[in-house]
Amino acid sequence: MTSKQTHTSRDCDEFQRQLPELFDSEQELVAHAHLQSCQNCSALVRDLEYIAAQAKLLLPIHDPSPAVWDNIQHALIRETKDGTKTS
Amino acid sequence: MTKNTLRTAEKVPSPTPSQPLTAEARPVQQQQRRNPPIAGELAAIASAQQGDGAAFEILYNMHKRRVYSLCLRMLGNVAEAEDLTQEAFLQLHRKISTFRGDSAFSTWLHRMAVNVVLMHLRKKGLPLVSLEETLEPSQEDGPRKDFGTRDLTLSGSIDRVTLERAVEELPPGYRMVFVLHDVEGYEHNEIAGMLQCSIGNSKSQLHKARMRLRNLLRQNADGKVDA
Repeated sequence: MTSKQTHTSRDCDEFQRQLPELFDSEQELVAHAHLQSCQNCSALVRDLEYIAAQAKLLLPIHDPSPAVWDNIQHALIRETKDGTKTS
Repeated sequence: MTKNTLRTAEKVPSPTPSQPLTAEARPVQQQQRRNPPIAGELAAIASAQQGDGAAFEILYNMHKRRVYSLCLRMLGNVAEAEDLTQEAFLQLHRKISTFRGDSAFSTWLHRMAVNVVLMHLRKKGLPLVSLEETLEPSQEDGPRKDFGTRDLTLSGSIDRVTLERAVEELPPGYRMVFVLHDVEGYEHNEIAGMLQCSIGNSKSQLHKARMRLRNLLRQNADGKVDA
């Protein structure tokens, strides 16, 4: 516990209960009084923001196997034939 | 549809006719960042709408990675992801003539892929929203007060591969909301519509997913330090 921390565990519980909603309002979150005094909850918020930021950088990196396109082509040919038969 | 219609419409993403909960709430800049225009896409769409198979193959090659990655992240299973990628593109082929260009093509296609995955999961009878919070309350999902004196933040310590692996370890319901919101950029109101849950539930699931990820990533970081 640092000298900066004057909160109680109940404060932390209450703050963390509000977090899902607070994350929707960055201004409200940043200005929240509890964050000014609680190092642990500040670290928690930083981590969760960091995870969200990193997730946005996840790029599509996997390619489907060539069999997927082959199957699509076969299915399209089948659909075309079925369409021709019924028309 | 004319090419001009498409070109104009791509600048202003808006709801598509086939999607009840649409991308209208998403900021234009966000959509453009997630779905930047691809060179040659407009011409390929126009040709594919006229039944040009080669143009459809071009569209497949342009978007297969993104659609497959979306399916894989949502499902966590290669075989199912490939099957549903196939199904998403077959649906695209059936519906491409209805694309009006009101939103970016990729936004429209990705939403179609999300719907294919969700329909698949519903058919399997799987809950789209995690029941873990009621069935297995765990300390890591709830408030944590005791972080001790160790290094307090993850900042700068995780790479993409580590995060990908951690996302794979999430329970399906948490993973679904995390992928849709944090990776794909959907808003809570859109996710709530897709998963047929409340907005509050979507926010709660996302928060629990991030908390679980934090725990997994910290364990991973501790392992590296210990090794």
